[in-house]
Amino acid sequence: MKPLVLVIEDDPQIRRFLRATLAAEDYQFHEAVTAAEGSAQAAARQPDLVLLDLGLPDRDGLDVIREIRSWSQMPIVVLSARGQEKDKIAALDLGADDYVAKPFAVGELLARIRAALRRAAPLAPDGTDPVIRFGNVEADFEKRQIIVGGQEVHLTPNEYKLLQVLIKHAGRVVTQRQLLNEVWGPQHTEQSQYLRVYVAQLRRKLEQDPARPRYLQTEPGVGYRLSFDR
Amino acid sequence: MEYVASHAEPTPTDETAVELAEAEPQPRAVSASWREYALAVAIVALATLVALLLRPYLAATNLAMVYLLGVVAVATRCSRSASVMASFLSVAAFDFFCVPPYLTFQVSEYEYLITFAGMLAVALVISAQTSRIRAQAASAVDRESRTKALYRLSRRLAAQTRVFDAALAAAEVAEQVFGSHVTIFLPEDGRISFRKRTSNQLLISTAEEEIAQAVFDHGRKAGKGMERFPAAAATYVPLKGVSRIVGVMAILPGPHGETLKADQQHLLDLFANQTALAIERTLSQNAADDARMQMETEEMRSSLLSAVSHDLRTPLASITGAATTLRSQSDKLPPAVRDELLDSISEEALRLSRLVGNLLDMTRLESGVELRVDLYPLEEIVGAALQRLEPQLAGRETSVSLPEDLPLVKVDDVLLGQVLGNLIENATKYSPPGSAIEIAAEAVAGAVQLEVRDRGPGFAAGEEKRLFEKFYRGKSEGVRGAGLGLAICRAIVVAHRGSIEALHRPGGGAIFRIRLPLDALMKVDARL
Repeated sequence: MKPLVLVIEDDPQIRRFLRATLAAEDYQFHEAVTAAEGSAQAAARQPDLVLLDLGLPDRDGLDVIREIRSWSQMPIVVLSARGQEKDKIAALDLGADDYVAKPFAVGELLARIRAALRRAAPLAPDGTDPVIRFGNVEADFEKRQIIVGGQEVHLTPNEYKLLQVLIKHAGRVVTQRQLLNEVWGPQHTEQSQYLRVYVAQLRRKLEQDPARPRYLQTEPGVGYRLSFDR
Repeated sequence: MEYVASHAEPTPTDETAVELAEAEPQPRAVSASWREYALAVAIVALATLVALLLRPYLAATNLAMVYLLGVVAVATRCSRSASVMASFLSVAAFDFFCVPPYLTFQVSEYEYLITFAGMLAVALVISAQTSRIRAQAASAVDRESRTKALYRLSRRLAAQTRVFDAALAAAEVAEQVFGSHVTIFLPEDGRISFRKRTSNQLLISTAEEEIAQAVFDHGRKAGKGMERFPAAAATYVPLKGVSRIVGVMAILPGPHGETLKADQQHLLDLFANQTALAIERTLSQNAADDARMQMETEEMRSSLLSAVSHDLRTPLASITGAATTLRSQSDKLPPAVRDELLDSISEEALRLSRLVGNLLDMTRLESGVELRVDLYPLEEIVGAALQRLEPQLAGRETSVSLPEDLPLVKVDDVLLGQVLGNLIENATKYSPPGSAIEIAAEAVAGAVQLEVRDRGPGFAAGEEKRLFEKFYRGKSEGVRGAGLGLAICRAIVVAHRGSIEALHRPGGGAIFRIRLPLDALMKVDARL
């Protein structure tokens, strides 16, 4: 069955091209223009994914995330304006799955939608295959072994945990706060410079050119994304 | 705006305390009081006593000298009328006690009449002269204290650049000089405003408000001690500038309800006048500043408009052209041409988006953006910028050389990333496709230095500084842009207290060098 995408967006031109591109990619499409209508439609239609604009006419789009998250874990991808890192972080910390900054290319949007839908699929690959591969990296979480280009590399416990969390959220941006919380615990969510140093070390161990990372990418002002198709 | 609440009372310094002591008001009576007459009588009585004691030994005419001495004593202490009285009294007493027959006003020898006349004349002259000298001395003292007070006022006023501060300073000095409470009211939209007053100690009723307004409207003093509205709680003096009335000064009666004396009234008028002139001057200064700023803003706006309207219209024209061509002639176009048109639509849209982004950034930076600094490995910021520019960098050799021991930099990652992004993007725009771009950083004395180098034609000699000006476009041909990218870079780097410069690269090309000072840096914690 075609996945149903609910688009909550007030601009008619953007709705129009989203409608065209989603239909071409074999998605079902439903639209809402206001936050109130969006929340109601999300409850009534139970879409597979919500595409949410943050600047809605009646209320803040963040409210919609809050409402949906009070009863559902359905994937939410946020459409945000460029340069509003605060809003992006707020949306992600409220439980949005990802964001795409306007103006965006359709390819990028579709990749985010696919990644979000895949993560929401009931059969998580973590359960079925303990070995994750990206580039020349092989992460075997059963044996707790990381192999890069055929050579085993040693990760410190924190580096290992960080990689685990990033792989769990693979393809999706994770805020610094979320990472600090999941790796170091809720009392360390402000010490982001530690996180950055660990990320840099992880890059040196996993990436061929740590200054031009292919997988462990930075989202400036927001967080990190382990970018690969699982 | 609540002026009263937002202005803290300035703490008086020791200096003002000293000045205050010097300028303490000396309330003086203008007419002789009964005390002076009593003193005059007492002194004449004393002279009489002395004369009576000396009478057995001295000739009567010499006793007149004792009385003259008394008149001098009176004249130096009392008003002229008191000493005139003392003169006549002395002659009478001399006649009565010292000229035989004693204890009568009768005169035994007519010669004494000449003595009386001479004595009276000398006494009157002494009185007149002495009191004139005294008056001169008193007015000199008066003038001096008045001058001091006015000087202090003018010094305080000269330091103020805002109208309300000038009013506050004037009220403060006036309170010290007159020893009673002073409030200055400033107008707002042509009416005396109770939100714009220097203190709220003066409790104002509607009636008082109307008196203040009347004083403001008609420019004449009123209130307590004046002809008009004598029942008012305070005395209201208009602050008359050269061209208009700029406010009203209200002075409350002293602690015992006393009003100002005539000479103090005069000083108050001088105070009001000087304050008014200062306020008026500040007003016109502010108006001039506003006008100049307005002009500069206008100028900037028009140069921005002319620069930007061209840059906005060009891509819009290509987009509109390509889209309408596709729409109306789609079936006549070969697929390759259709693809080209589609490419140009998306490329031009991206260009438009970048331009709008730059304009918004510039506006944000100019309105004073808040840096959200934290410690970052430079590597991460470089990496994010390169990732963002991947499409533009396709087909180029990009080398990055960052020493592993580079300290963390304390920066706003989004903004510094933007600087790097702009510099790298410039390098791609201004150098031939396929030529190499280098990004390198090193720790130097007191700073971290980051360079972006290209092998393009570089820039013309003498352009080094101008490149970073807003709306300045390099002399290279064929490159389009609004001339904002480098201006944004400079604004961001300066906000980080760093510096940015353009250098000619040996062997051809340009180097853009950023220095972030040491205090923006921190060493990596080795334990990590």
